[in-house]
Amino acid sequence: MNRKEIINTLEAIFEDIIDEGAVTLSETSTSKDVDGWDSLTNIQLVVVIEKQFKIRFTSEEIISWNNVGEMIDCILTKEG
Amino acid sequence: MDFKLNETYKHEFQVTQEVYLSFQKCSNDWNPLHTDELFAKSKGFPDKVMYGNILNAFVSYFIGECLPTKNVIIQSQEIAFKNPVFMNEKLSFEARVSGIYESVNTVEFKYKFIKFDGVLAAKGLIQIGLLR
Repeated sequence: MNRKEIINTLEAIFEDIIDEGAVTLSETSTSKDVDGWDSLTNIQLVVVIEKQFKIRFTSEEIISWNNVGEMIDCILTKEG
Repeated sequence: MDFKLNETYKHEFQVTQEVYLSFQKCSNDWNPLHTDELFAKSKGFPDKVMYGNILNAFVSYFIGECLPTKNVIIQSQEIAFKNPVFMNEKLSFEARVSGIYESVNTVEFKYKFIKFDGVLAAKGLIQIGLLR
């Protein structure tokens, strides 16, 4: 899966979890850019992302992400 | 982490008169399906149908009282009702650890309530957070 495909998948996950309409993500998106992306929602997002991509993050990895692009870097690393 | 993937927990519950009345008072739901035997029979049920959400209360008990740690909080809970439950019916509850997400300190359970005649009463998914 390439970065664009991962972003498309993430957008679908965000839309389902946040449930407030269409979500558009870019590599530089942060929680401040997405309405409804708060700390509790983030737990749901991580659970579904881990399920969807069949990967597991560590808490250190999640804390280290500064934007969606860094999340994608992490996903790509784990997808091998 | 106090949980292992596919670990199973079991418990037995019964919808007693006390449980029924307590839930009725708590919910203030007086719908005749749950309170009027004749109404319930007119709709094809053999007796008053117990409140489905009593089972959610049982799930609350399971999370709060039956797990190996008290450091838990329910993050989400889903239930699908498959067959009605009636007064004094006993239910066998089984929950399996279906997912562990250590990155966000979250554990997921798939659960089901089975009536003593083997019929599935309800099933669902619970997601809990482990408090640090």
